[in-house]
Amino acid sequence: MEKRRFAHGERVLSCFMKLLKDIFTDKYTAFVFRVVLGMVFVYASLDKITHPQDFSQIIYNYKILPSFLVNIFAITLPWVELICGLFLIGGIFIESSSLLIFVLLFTFMIATSFNVFIRGIDIQCGCFTTSLTAKKQGAELVIRDILFLLMSLQVLLFNRNFATLPGFYQRILYRWLLK
Amino acid sequence: MNRKPKFSNTIFKVVIIVCVGFVIGILNNTFSRNGIQLIGNWGNKTVSDSLLVPNDYLPDDPEAITLDQALESFKSREAIFIDCRLKEDYDLGHIKGALNLPWEEFEEYFPRLKSILSESKEIIAYCDGSECELSLLLARELAGLGYENVKIFFGGWVEWKNAGLPMEKGS
Repeated sequence: MEKRRFAHGERVLSCFMKLLKDIFTDKYTAFVFRVVLGMVFVYASLDKITHPQDFSQIIYNYKILPSFLVNIFAITLPWVELICGLFLIGGIFIESSSLLIFVLLFTFMIATSFNVFIRGIDIQCGCFTTSLTAKKQGAELVIRDILFLLMSLQVLLFNRNFATLPGFYQRILYRWLLK
Repeated sequence: MNRKPKFSNTIFKVVIIVCVGFVIGILNNTFSRNGIQLIGNWGNKTVSDSLLVPNDYLPDDPEAITLDQALESFKSREAIFIDCRLKEDYDLGHIKGALNLPWEEFEEYFPRLKSILSESKEIIAYCDGSECELSLLLARELAGLGYENVKIFFGGWVEWKNAGLPMEKGS
């Protein structure tokens, strides 16, 4: 009896793992993650684009970049984020955009961890807002970053070009040619 | 439709995205109203080598410290920070763990903090920034009352806030 129940539990567990794996590798999941990640990045870039001065102060506070690079980063990084976000939503260059977002998130994670765990200072994140009095979260930021990192990895690996703008236009073009 | 693109192709597109973002960013910054310099003047913002003090600071006044020194003391947890600004300013934001002792209402606030002050190893007074003299006046008063190891952080709230160091709000 004991043995049977154990075997049953194992089977449920393995089914559950298989379900999780199926969900994680699914093209619809990749689509949802793609759009969510894209919107997050577009939203995050807008405030930085409009407040380059505040954003450069935040980058400077991270004390990682050499000071002559600080302003260049503050000027260009939000635009790269915006383009990646729009491309992910629209389904253009998905592999490249998600790879780039993965690299960006990884860099952010290293930068935040360096400040939170090594310098021991809860600095202004500059993730979504450039306001200097915004709430700070420390380790919470790193966890959030890891979640986004997993999402971008999922999109990178399991994207099947589902519901993309280029695909949409291609289909319209075919339909028009076949008429 | 479903074929996997080559990795070199992916990298090539990444480079394109970065370059396009770079160019748009630079162009936007050039023509935007709130554009900033391409290479910022961050060098002289580090406070450690440029300690600004008010004009009436005298050589035998309590020791003036830089942001870095203040941060050291903050991390050691042995120093007590005294915010000399008014309660309204203090409530809007102050150094984490700092106590409020407005210079203007010294007589009223001082008795409440007396026991804490006499126990602390190091007292650091600060106010708004280097143009603010409240911290100097308060530090002189405290040193005159016999407190040892009183220091003044002239960089004050402005430098602390700009450096993005731990802050808190409310009383």
